[in-house]
Amino acid sequence: MATPRIVQQGVKQVKPLMSVDRTEARRRVLNLYKAWYRQIPYVVKDFYLPITVKMGRDKVRELFLKNKHVTDIRNIDMLVIKGQMDLVETANIWKQRNHVMMFFKDTVNPKPTDFLSKFYEGQE
Amino acid sequence: MLRLWPVRQLSRIQNALGLTQTAFKSSQPAPAPDLVEVFIDDKQVFVEPGTTVLQACATAGVEIPRFCYHDRLSIAGNCRMCLVEVEKSAKPIASCAMPVMKGMKVKTDSPLTRKAREGVMEFLLVNHPLDCPICDQGGECDLQDQSMAFGSDRSRFTDNAFTGKRAVEDKNIGPLIKTIMTRCIHCTRCIRFASEVAGVDDLGTSGRGTEMQVGTYVEKMFKSELSGNVIDLCPVGALTSKPYAFTTRPWETRRIESIDVMDAVGSNIVVSMRTNEVMRILPRLNEDINEEWISDKTRFAYDGLKRQRLTTPFVRNSKGDLIPTDWETAFFDIADRVKNIVPSSIAGIAGCHTDLETLVCLKDMVNRLGSELLCTEESFPMINSGTDFRSNYVMNTTIAGIEESDLVFLVGTNPRLEGSLVNARIRKSWVHNEMCVFALGAPVDLSYDYQYLGDSFSVLKDIADGTHVLAKALAEAEKPMIILGSDALQKSDSNLILDTVRSIAKNAKKASKHPDWKVFNVLHRNASQVGALDMGYQPGVDILKCNKPNLVFLVGADAGKLTEDDILGNSGVIYIGSHGDAGAQMADVVLPGAAYTEKDAMYVNTEGRAQIGRQAVSPPGMARHDWKIIRALSEILGVTLPYDKLSDVRSRLAEISPTFDRPGRAEETGFEDISDNVVIDKMAVKGTEAPVAPVLLKLRDFYMTDPISRASPTMAKCVQAYDESEKNPYSRPEAS
Repeated sequence: MATPRIVQQGVKQVKPLMSVDRTEARRRVLNLYKAWYRQIPYVVKDFYLPITVKMGRDKVRELFLKNKHVTDIRNIDMLVIKGQMDLVETANIWKQRNHVMMFFKDTVNPKPTDFLSKFYEGQE
Repeated sequence: MLRLWPVRQLSRIQNALGLTQTAFKSSQPAPAPDLVEVFIDDKQVFVEPGTTVLQACATAGVEIPRFCYHDRLSIAGNCRMCLVEVEKSAKPIASCAMPVMKGMKVKTDSPLTRKAREGVMEFLLVNHPLDCPICDQGGECDLQDQSMAFGSDRSRFTDNAFTGKRAVEDKNIGPLIKTIMTRCIHCTRCIRFASEVAGVDDLGTSGRGTEMQVGTYVEKMFKSELSGNVIDLCPVGALTSKPYAFTTRPWETRRIESIDVMDAVGSNIVVSMRTNEVMRILPRLNEDINEEWISDKTRFAYDGLKRQRLTTPFVRNSKGDLIPTDWETAFFDIADRVKNIVPSSIAGIAGCHTDLETLVCLKDMVNRLGSELLCTEESFPMINSGTDFRSNYVMNTTIAGIEESDLVFLVGTNPRLEGSLVNARIRKSWVHNEMCVFALGAPVDLSYDYQYLGDSFSVLKDIADGTHVLAKALAEAEKPMIILGSDALQKSDSNLILDTVRSIAKNAKKASKHPDWKVFNVLHRNASQVGALDMGYQPGVDILKCNKPNLVFLVGADAGKLTEDDILGNSGVIYIGSHGDAGAQMADVVLPGAAYTEKDAMYVNTEGRAQIGRQAVSPPGMARHDWKIIRALSEILGVTLPYDKLSDVRSRLAEISPTFDRPGRAEETGFEDISDNVVIDKMAVKGTEAPVAPVLLKLRDFYMTDPISRASPTMAKCVQAYDESEKNPYSRPEAS
């Protein structure tokens, strides 16, 4: 008996971006993390960043952990690709100092949450 | 326009004379009128006898192109665009004027029909300028659309003698309507509207053939409160809006459905918006309220939304000047004032445009602060059951119900200027049914004939006692209506007037053959009034004059009912509103609010119908939505209201009254009999000398009545044009 078409579509294998299974995706993430980890001292030095190496590494860890909820292998791969691109741009000093410091969001004001501050801000 | 042939009266006479057909006399019920079978493009449809071919086509789902035909106007049949072929007819027929006949076979898309349309279109275009690029009607022009659909693809018009196309002199008919009469195709919709709906027989035609012109013959102002509607009716760009001229194209604007607040009718409107600006206001169809008309104030006062606006909070300094400041400072200033006074001496006054959300927030805040002093600017007598029952202060029969009535008695009101669409309904009924109108008040021009009973209270008393002629007429009428104007109830003798009118209504209701019919109606002037009374606001500022509050919140209260002498001490007046009008002038702290096009807000009209208006543009500058201002202020004052979102406020509104929860519906009022029986302090009915008269007497008074229309340059121009027209010897004198 032929499987209904809709079921076939559901179980269809999607084309992987890079990794074929979770182990491989995990390895790619760890490799990227390590690459960033090793690069941080040079980044701090090359860009004369007003931060310590520890602070930089903490930020890398924070940004990686921000996406820890992602389970789709294709999504993980895409994030790895983007992280890799970011790393290359940073390592080759295609970025400028402020671009790197933007990871820290020093100048971004948090959005108001309570009614009164929203009112003062003029937001809904 | 004079009244139509009173068909019903004729049948009444026939009945009396025994001339009715035998079929009606037999014991069997009269047979339902046979439906006529017609074929539209070989599709069989059954329609009532007497419907026109055009309407029959509409029921079959075929729309016939037309210029002169309009649902709400009489049939002219002069544009010939609706020609269709009918089998066994020698010539194509004008479908808008031809009644259906049995077995008629109509062909709406046959070669003959198409050729006829193409021919008509060609003739129209020969005499129509090709100025679509500079025409304001471009994009919403019937002629443009239909020439694309039904016209020929080339022109045979060659100007051999180089005489130029037909050209007609433009007419100046006032500051609202721009005329480019060369574009006119003589559909006569404007003429029919003016004479039938508006009741101002100013427009007409002169000349014949190519020389025919639509206009006023001698140059004068088209003096009507509904004049703007001819702009919508004009199928071409001959009549366009003067203030809107050359501003936007219809495809550039976004249309937001909203509710008008210029009067208590609550007309449904569409706000056209572009680049965060209100570009124009158009009517929206609502059969129960405004049909498809709106008054000129509704349509043209929108430019008042850009002038005299409050865009930042102000605080009055020690020198007595209002200094612009920020929200926080203004709030803390208010908090300081509130701290130093007895909570029970805080009061709130709601003005004419206040929406339900703001009303409920203000009431909840003032109550939480520990005061009960909440009132509206417009007063209403609190005799007997006061405002406890809804039937005491709304228009019980509803606006659409006017059409059922056969006798209208207007007391102390000029509905033409206080609620133009209510007056249009009365006129409609006066023209088409044999309605009698009686009026007690000022001898104003209502655009229809009525019997004027003078303005003295003694007449009212005579009617109540049954010694007046009208008392008999009211008792004999099938469905009498008494419309009491809110204007007449603003004076000190209002208790007497209301009491007497109530007893007249009670007598009429007792004599009425329809137990469900409600006789007593109130025509309010302010969009906020019914909502505020529903919510439990005290009508009128008299309560404050007795109590002398220390601190007053004026929410859009600009009528100047409360003066500085009525406020105890110098703790202050806090004004929340959109315009720098009378209220802001006397205020110590001014908080800028949003106007009606700038907020999602609910209003209750004079029928007690809650309606939602949508936000079209954002409030200017630092202005905020009024309910949010009160909500934020309540937090500063330490009585935080539990509403953060609009939906929270709406659910609070639904808690207060289920009518607020059902927008668009006019809930039927009840307990009329009970409310009549509740007599708390029956006063000895004594006479009053003051006349029972409305305030708005002439069209001049109509244009500027509230903060928005007072700030509107267009409305100011209307007043100016009116004064000019008074000097015009050809101008029709207004008061009848």
